[in-house]
Amino acid sequence: MVQASSVQIRQVDKFYGPFHALKKVSMDVLPGKVTCLIGPSGSGKSTLLRCINFLEEYDAGEIRIDDQLIGYESPGGRKMRGAKLREMRRSIGMVFQQFNLWPHMTALQNVAEGLVRVRGLSKSEAESRATEALRKVGLADKMGNHPLRLSGGQQQRVAIARAIAMEPKLMLFDEPTSALDPELVGEVLNVMKALAAEGMTMVVVTHEMGFAAHVADRVAFMEKGELVAVDEPSRILHSPEDPRIQGFLRTYHERNSF
Amino acid sequence: MEWQIFEQYGPMLLRGFGVTVLCWLLGTVFSMALGLVIALIQRYAPAPLRWLIQIYIEIIRGTPFLVQLFVLYYGGPLIGLRLDALPAGILGLTVYGSPYFAEIFRSGFRAVPLGQIEAARAIGMSEPTIIRRILLPLGLVSALPALINFSIILTKETVILSIITVPELMYQVNRMSTETFRYLEANLVLALFFWLLVETISRVGRRLESRVTRHLLERP
Repeated sequence: MVQASSVQIRQVDKFYGPFHALKKVSMDVLPGKVTCLIGPSGSGKSTLLRCINFLEEYDAGEIRIDDQLIGYESPGGRKMRGAKLREMRRSIGMVFQQFNLWPHMTALQNVAEGLVRVRGLSKSEAESRATEALRKVGLADKMGNHPLRLSGGQQQRVAIARAIAMEPKLMLFDEPTSALDPELVGEVLNVMKALAAEGMTMVVVTHEMGFAAHVADRVAFMEKGELVAVDEPSRILHSPEDPRIQGFLRTYHERNSF
Repeated sequence: MEWQIFEQYGPMLLRGFGVTVLCWLLGTVFSMALGLVIALIQRYAPAPLRWLIQIYIEIIRGTPFLVQLFVLYYGGPLIGLRLDALPAGILGLTVYGSPYFAEIFRSGFRAVPLGQIEAARAIGMSEPTIIRRILLPLGLVSALPALINFSIILTKETVILSIITVPELMYQVNRMSTETFRYLEANLVLALFFWLLVETISRVGRRLESRVTRHLLERP
């Protein structure tokens, strides 16, 4: 059982110049639960996710991970010192749409890098843990391969291994299957399901409604920077009350039917 | 044409070529190193320092190497910088080449996808470690063809060092020409030497390039 974090998001605002990307968003991510963020493109899902580990700086409000404010020394105060921010990020795993593996390193080196450079483990200790993480995502036999010699699905699984090797208490997924060929989506979702079953706290931005329906404990719907609703998957996906959600799902079903 | 003249002047020309290679090699290594430092400052330093560096870049790129060399060699003593011709020439090459190398490094760094840097930040890696482990290895590979190209351009800038009496190949060729009036022969020999040097650099460069990109390119 992994140690699982909770996240509290309170009244978060984010601006890109005049563009209001997040509008007073508040949400709780419960420990050990999977929360899916859905909604149309440009609705602010990824921005919100990236605010959680402060890759994106929010302008107002508070984001707390296990009661500890991220990004700022105090609410509305000075920005957090680099060392402190890095320490918080160590326990937050992140998986990107474009995998973002380091192409000059093998799969094993990609996973071991953080263990050596951030956690300070010896090379051999790091490699044995990295091997373990790669085994977990089913890629122990590919650990000597460079990213370009792997399929998209394999690359994304290495990226997941890279994150979980750091033993995070919270995992953020930013559209992890959107860049994949349809036949490769399943292998990545399976790894994510296994992770969820271990009790990892997960926040997942996704267009995979099936994953949201079957794996998520809670689904949040965003539109135009607003958090419209957050509820159990069935309430959002099968009997939504808000017309904006109804409209989004109608478009989704139309596009996916043939 | 009278080629037997080289029995007399050959050793001198060879020595000149040696000096040319030395100037080019040290000038390239130093200006590349300085260019790298400049590019890193441009990327990470606070604004005032960046502006100063930008002014340096504009001045050096905006003036001819010949003029820079004159200012350095004949103007340097006025501010207490008294150098022999050879070190002055190498320093001149270093100064002259650095902004070009800096720009090459800058574009190399920009070619590193932001996502790969964010991935490092997301696991809590510090910026110096990111520079060392991610930005430099990937940025240098992107920059390599342009680095080699500009190194080749620099070989030919060394001839200007003859103006401040650095005894490199051009200087020796000029001496031979004025002593023997064999301008054509002397300059053909110079051309041959330079062709040899450039060809060697570009071959080594291509080998290096295919070595460092072997994991970074899609298999055809």
